[in-house]
Amino acid sequence: MDLAIKDVRHHLGKFAVTIVGVSLLLTIVLIMNGIYQGNISDGLWLIDNTRADLWVVERNRGGPFNEQSRVAEDVYRSVAAVPGVAQSSPFITYNVEREVAGTSQHFTIIGYDVFGGLGGPARIVTGRPITRAHYELVADEKLGLRLAEVVRLGVHDYEVVGLTRGAVDFGGNPLAYLSLHDAQEVLFQQDNRALQASRAAALRRLERAGTTSEEAARLAPLLSAPTDTTNAVLVRLVPGVDRRAVAQHIEEWLYLSAFTPEQQRDLMLKGRLQRMMAILGLFRSLLVVVSIIIIALIVYVLTIEKIKSIATLKLLGATNWVIVRLILEQSLVLTVAAFLLAWASAELVKDSLPRSLLLLPAETLVTFLVIFAGGIVASLMAIWRALRTPPSLALGG
Amino acid sequence: MPVLSVERVKKVYGSGELAVTALEDITLSAESGELVALLGPSGSGKSTLLLCISLILEPTAGRITINGIEVYRDGATGIDVRRLRRENIGFIFQGQNLIPFLTAQENIALALDLNGVPKRQASRRACELLDYLEIGHRANALVANLSGGEQQRVAIGRALANEPPLILADEPTSSLDTDRGMKAMTLLRRIAKEKRSAVIVVTHDERMIEGFDRVFRLKDGRLLDVVMNAQRS
Repeated sequence: MDLAIKDVRHHLGKFAVTIVGVSLLLTIVLIMNGIYQGNISDGLWLIDNTRADLWVVERNRGGPFNEQSRVAEDVYRSVAAVPGVAQSSPFITYNVEREVAGTSQHFTIIGYDVFGGLGGPARIVTGRPITRAHYELVADEKLGLRLAEVVRLGVHDYEVVGLTRGAVDFGGNPLAYLSLHDAQEVLFQQDNRALQASRAAALRRLERAGTTSEEAARLAPLLSAPTDTTNAVLVRLVPGVDRRAVAQHIEEWLYLSAFTPEQQRDLMLKGRLQRMMAILGLFRSLLVVVSIIIIALIVYVLTIEKIKSIATLKLLGATNWVIVRLILEQSLVLTVAAFLLAWASAELVKDSLPRSLLLLPAETLVTFLVIFAGGIVASLMAIWRALRTPPSLALGG
Repeated sequence: MPVLSVERVKKVYGSGELAVTALEDITLSAESGELVALLGPSGSGKSTLLLCISLILEPTAGRITINGIEVYRDGATGIDVRRLRRENIGFIFQGQNLIPFLTAQENIALALDLNGVPKRQASRRACELLDYLEIGHRANALVANLSGGEQQRVAIGRALANEPPLILADEPTSSLDTDRGMKAMTLLRRIAKEKRSAVIVVTHDERMIEGFDRVFRLKDGRLLDVVMNAQRS
């Protein structure tokens, strides 16, 4: 006779409320799992989908994602001349906060050589790639733009010619692709008043240095900040070439740093994502522990409520296993039902959350096994109490 | 051979100066088909004696034999007491102590289930017992939906389930009114005669003694006297 199930049926309302409560906690655990994996996936998306064999950045910088890296635009030509390099392209990336599709949005602009260069959108789901040098844009669907829609960035309008899906930066923000020079322009171009202020400041500096007004007027444009810098050079190698050897050559002869995609992934995981992953991991662990403690307390209370029945069972000659099974089964019913409900809830809400949520079956299974083991541990206190209950408790009033 | 034999049983709680003698030199027996009472006021030792006979409490000295199996002889003899209880003793409690989340039928079937009786056979036997106790129509009712008298009958049914040679009843009428208490005693007497079990009832209610075959009266842990067929011996 399955006493545990019969007790659950008898106290169905109480069990249902408890299962819902515990499942809410477990839903948060699963969502945190999803955010954790989503962060990793987002963080590596750009690296994996750029498909460069080497990332060349400013010397001793962990760029272009972990650290600011500035490389002169024409450096890619020097890189192209390195033995083993099949193709090299300038690449620029930066975050902006702009009004797009009627709302202020945070996104990342990617600038690349649109005429056959590396670093462009990996897969366009609607429309076409950028084919003109200026004023065309490929955006991710997440930005809420439509094909042919015109977006104002800086002082120019850009027409959406293509849409991507799932193209995100390390923070899960959508990507917008522009031609290299458009991206530089959006990043560096100032409006007229800013230009006038910057020119006036340059003139003052020159005049303080003792130049005449005529000389200052002639030299001032040379003091303005360069607008032809990029963040990295993307490299595709000749098939079969040793990547480390080419990287070493670039580092020694061009005084730059070069990373393989694996090193770039490591930089991302150990740099940008590590602390966030540690915090999420800590919260996940705490929530699992809290869930197990709550299950333990609930199972203990349920056991205390039927302690006289347990004493009666012992007096009737029930073996310890009958008592252990009664408690353990209820704990596991509670745990498994709450987990299944939590899983269904997490699957239901995952697409409506603002962050990428990646529920990996393997990780969900591991979480289930941890919670299942927790359910067994949670029942130990109640089992210990039940086994210590003397059968004599059943006698007397 | 008596179903229950208690010989010179002594029970002392604690030791040294703090030692309290709860039972002293108790000797009694119960035969098959006999309805026996353990009568005494509070503190007389009847509950301690019941615990010893129930194989819950080990006597300090003396011998207890149940259905020919020696359980204690100046200490435990190493018998599996849970199994012995399951197979040889039926219990009727003061407050019935039915399992609240089971139906009347399931409460009786439980005792059989614990003894390894297959489910279908246990259910059939439980129904037969409920019919015998004249509450067959309440088989599927939960305990909470049964009256006090009906609960008492279910408790008796559970005690009878494994057809034990010995039935122990602890104040079985204490939670019932006089009329229902009398009916319960009549039923126990009928069971003793029809099922050929030795039924031992612990009670402090002097009004009940007339119905018993023998009454063992206890006071201060000692056997005061034995009343046979409601006549003092």
